[in-house]
Amino acid sequence: MAMVDYYRPLRLNQIDSSLQEEIKRTCGVDVELCLECGKCTGGCSNAHIFDLTPRKIVQLVKLGDEKRLLNMDSLWTCVSCQLCVDRCPSHIDIPRIMDYMREKARKKNVRAQRESIEIFHELMLDSIRKTGRVAEAPLALKHNLRTRQYFKDAELGGRMFFKGKLNPLSPKVKNVKQVKDLFAQTIDKKEG
Amino acid sequence: MTTNLDKKALVVGAGLAGMEAAIKIGQAGYEVYLVEKENTMGGVTGQLFSSFPRWENPRELVDNRIQTINQIEKIRVLTTTTVQSARREGEAFVVDLQKADGQVEQVAADAVVLATGFELMDVSVYGEYGYGIYPNVVNSLEFEDKLREWSAAGSKADRPKSIAFFKCVGSRDRSKGNPYCSKICCMYTAKQAGLTKDLLPEAKAYVFYMDYRAAGKEYEEFVRSVIETKHVRYVRGRPSKVLPENGRLVVRAEDTLMGVPIEVEVDMVVLASAIVPREGTRVLAGMFGALTDQYGFIENVPFELRQTGNGVFFAGACGFAVETAGAQAQGAAAAADVVALFNRVPQGVK
Repeated sequence: MAMVDYYRPLRLNQIDSSLQEEIKRTCGVDVELCLECGKCTGGCSNAHIFDLTPRKIVQLVKLGDEKRLLNMDSLWTCVSCQLCVDRCPSHIDIPRIMDYMREKARKKNVRAQRESIEIFHELMLDSIRKTGRVAEAPLALKHNLRTRQYFKDAELGGRMFFKGKLNPLSPKVKNVKQVKDLFAQTIDKKEG
Repeated sequence: MTTNLDKKALVVGAGLAGMEAAIKIGQAGYEVYLVEKENTMGGVTGQLFSSFPRWENPRELVDNRIQTINQIEKIRVLTTTTVQSARREGEAFVVDLQKADGQVEQVAADAVVLATGFELMDVSVYGEYGYGIYPNVVNSLEFEDKLREWSAAGSKADRPKSIAFFKCVGSRDRSKGNPYCSKICCMYTAKQAGLTKDLLPEAKAYVFYMDYRAAGKEYEEFVRSVIETKHVRYVRGRPSKVLPENGRLVVRAEDTLMGVPIEVEVDMVVLASAIVPREGTRVLAGMFGALTDQYGFIENVPFELRQTGNGVFFAGACGFAVETAGAQAQGAAAAADVVALFNRVPQGVK
């Protein structure tokens, strides 16, 4: 993989197109079908907090800029809601690209740029591993403690609690062992 | 009703549109003078290596039309002949035709079809692209010859490994006096880039574009197939500069989708130059009292699409950039106007 030199304009002929081909081969996603219309970004539930929006992510695959794709904040703030692929006129499966790049980031030990995102994912997976589900209230509380933002979203959390939208407990699914077996099959055994 | 088969028509220009007009008028039984300044018929269509959107050989179309013309006795083909002057006599024209040997032949025509075609803008005015300075910066008609050359057997050693195609060179450019879209460049550039990948499979092809305009039957599918199955790389942005570097050419542009400056090393740059009217068209139009617009393209009279003056009609790219099928259709439509004029009967009140 030829590295992109960030001190010079990108030379298209020097980039390695293997990322585009790799994603076509492994994920079955052909980014050449992209019409560059931006409907993915327009529909994305989180685009306003993304550093790179879905259309740009597809474009970066074409440009073979693996470094930026592995280091982007969006990699960890994408919630895989599937709106982009659902609305895409070419049905380009961007969440599949995101999954693939997240796996690749873990394999290459590329961490999220913001520590709080790492902590969030760690706590969320921890909750799933132990109980088989995500308990929102304990997750939010633990995240606030770990990131030392003790009163973050406290007002919102309070209102949600009194409306019965937040369960302060962590109920378990019936068969937690099955969930644990799933975790055992993942590439990243310890942290999930 | 009486039909007067003594009427005669003059068609100026034996490209696709002019040939079609001559064929249809001749088939209706009228005498036609088909005047062509070059020594062969076929015009620009005859120079093309392939056509869109079906990758057909335009030579087959041109040869078929020439064959058809040769079978129509009423058509008199006058190659290497130009219109020297024309004057109106009653409803008709008296036209002086100048032949290659300098001889002048005077003919009378009751109707005229102007089909003088187009030329490419002289893009050497873009100093930043280096046309006329770097030998490997060519315009799109010159590139058709390159494609023909590469399709023939021969040494592959000196063939380019990478080619950049620039769209909108001279088109959509107010600073160069051409605010209009030349209409056909999106399609022929896709064609040329696709053929590059067919003929030189190892080569890279980059198309620099602001957008691609593919409004026509099978047009969008054609452009997408070039991108998706022939793997031509479309880069959104209007190139800013061509620089020589180590015997190659470096193209500088912005990838406007990412907002980053980019460069690409290529061996050849193909400029999709703006379609402009031929230099002589405005003068010729003046001789026949035909209308022209601010650029020198022939303009129609109100409500009549192929008529530009009293007894004067036009077809093909002398009116505006048009694809081969459109040129042919306009030729036939102009012929219908001529035949209708020759058969006009007094119209009473219904």
